[in-house]
Amino acid sequence: MAANKASRLGEEIWKTRIDKVNAELVTLTYGTIVAQLCKDFDNDYVEVNKQLDKMGYNIGLRLIEDYLAKSNSMRRCANFRETAEMIAKVGFKIFLNITPVITNWTTDSKQFSLVFEENPLADFVELPDDGRAQDELWYSNIFCGILRGALEMVQMQVEAHFICDVLRGNDTTEMRVSLIRYIDDEMPPEDD
Amino acid sequence: MSYYFAIIGTQDNPLFEYEFGTSKQGGDGQPRFNEQARHMNQFVVHSSLDIVEEVQWTKGDMYLKVVDKFFNNYISCFATAGNVKFLLLHQPPAATAAPSTSRSSTSIGANPTSPQTEEAIKSFFNEVYENYVKAIMSPFYKVNMEIRSPYFRQRVAAAGKKYL
Amino acid sequence: MANLPTGKPPGKDQSGLRYPSNGKTIYHRPLNRTKTAELSQASFAYLFSEMISYAQRRVTGIQDLEQRLNVQGHPLGLKLLDLLLIREPPRTQTRPLNIIALLHLIKINLWTHLFGRQADRLEKSSNPETPDEYMIVDNEPLVNAYISVPKEMSQLNCAAYVAGIIEGVCDGAGFPARVTAHSVGLQEGGGGDGGMWPGKTVFLVKFEAAVLEREALIGGKG
Repeated sequence: MAANKASRLGEEIWKTRIDKVNAELVTLTYGTIVAQLCKDFDNDYVEVNKQLDKMGYNIGLRLIEDYLAKSNSMRRCANFRETAEMIAKVGFKIFLNITPVITNWTTDSKQFSLVFEENPLADFVELPDDGRAQDELWYSNIFCGILRGALEMVQMQVEAHFICDVLRGNDTTEMRVSLIRYIDDEMPPEDD
Repeated sequence: MSYYFAIIGTQDNPLFEYEFGTSKQGGDGQPRFNEQARHMNQFVVHSSLDIVEEVQWTKGDMYLKVVDKFFNNYISCFATAGNVKFLLLHQPPAATAAPSTSRSSTSIGANPTSPQTEEAIKSFFNEVYENYVKAIMSPFYKVNMEIRSPYFRQRVAAAGKKYL
Repeated sequence: MANLPTGKPPGKDQSGLRYPSNGKTIYHRPLNRTKTAELSQASFAYLFSEMISYAQRRVTGIQDLEQRLNVQGHPLGLKLLDLLLIREPPRTQTRPLNIIALLHLIKINLWTHLFGRQADRLEKSSNPETPDEYMIVDNEPLVNAYISVPKEMSQLNCAAYVAGIIEGVCDGAGFPARVTAHSVGLQEGGGGDGGMWPGKTVFLVKFEAAVLEREALIGGKG
């Protein structure tokens, strides 16, 4: 699907088919989840990242159905570039009302970056001043798990991780997404 | 005028402190507390907390104006919704402390109880409050934690410079 | 100051925090930027159910779980209290001085901000034995609407999270209280509207004795 067509689709679904809730309720709820993990794992941020990724994975497994129903796009993406468009312009749009920028493709079209100009999860956040959090914690790591879980349900094994975050003092927030393989290649692409 | 600003938590614990001088009437923004007074500031501010406790339950305003006076030190208070107190000790320079009829007597730099000073301090507190709320919104901020963010300090300094 | 080099926090201080050079921090954004912003209800539901199932693995029973949800909501109440009041116009920007003012702040301001509507009812306990108890009634709590509770947890009321938020508001404002959430929708004889509102929840607010003593002292005016 062409980039601008995906944009229009995302906008259209967000406007007409999504039940909405106050953004700060979501932001604060995510905040309390991360804070609780930090407490439970005694500020072992590497473990917190893992837990967030795991939670995201569970969400991704369930969210994909919702996504497919809302976007009405039962057709499989033609290639990984189209998948990227759909993730950024439809997926993120209809759940979080943001559209991360797709950039930094590798020449084999198997890896790209999502750059988050906006990140509602991190709206009120300043990381702890403990000399470690800014080096170890990926505050929004739940996104990585969500992508991994959701894409696995549509036969794509991907790996996703953040490479920088404004909360760490970087100028951008960027996630790297890599296609490992298509899980079930014999399934024919369907048009409907 | 010299200022000592403190944020006091709900357990009467200090969360933030900042000392500065007036930037009005050609002031250089530097505090002019003498060494002795300087050591007293924290104590003076703390001893006004009992009065604040009483006043805060008689009116719901956040800005409680001047709540206490200790010799030449005036204490203005702002109570947040969460019962954290912003206290500003302001000390006019000794020479101009006596009331005079000159124009400067009502100016922010000279007269601690003039309406102009009262308004200026209100604006200062309001601006600090906005930044304070930003600081406490972080999920990692727990009640009564010291506020260490350098940006917060910078914003308090800017508000002091702008209004006082 | 917009062009500070990365890694150099401004001002004299001992902080080791780094900040982006383009100033993308909370201190550079207006506080009201997200006041009316919206996200999908689904995003809340997904996060909230993950929060519950994570908590479920670390507790011994339903009461323990509800307690944990309460604890997680509590800091939100403390934060929202100041956030709500700073957004009030100067004329109404006042700290609640009595129980009624406080409960109105919760029923109207807090509910409207979080859930887009007021709570349905506010009641004082009619039992003379418990003058310290008040009830906030929500016929259809948002937190229960999208959450399917596992069968073995059928007693669980996820609104315990909201109870924690309310408790945080009370504690922060200087009215220490215990707040618990109770499902009443399926109770027999529960006011007759149980069938219409199966998720109906009562938030029971029980204030500490000191709160009532102060209230008597200042005459409950304001």
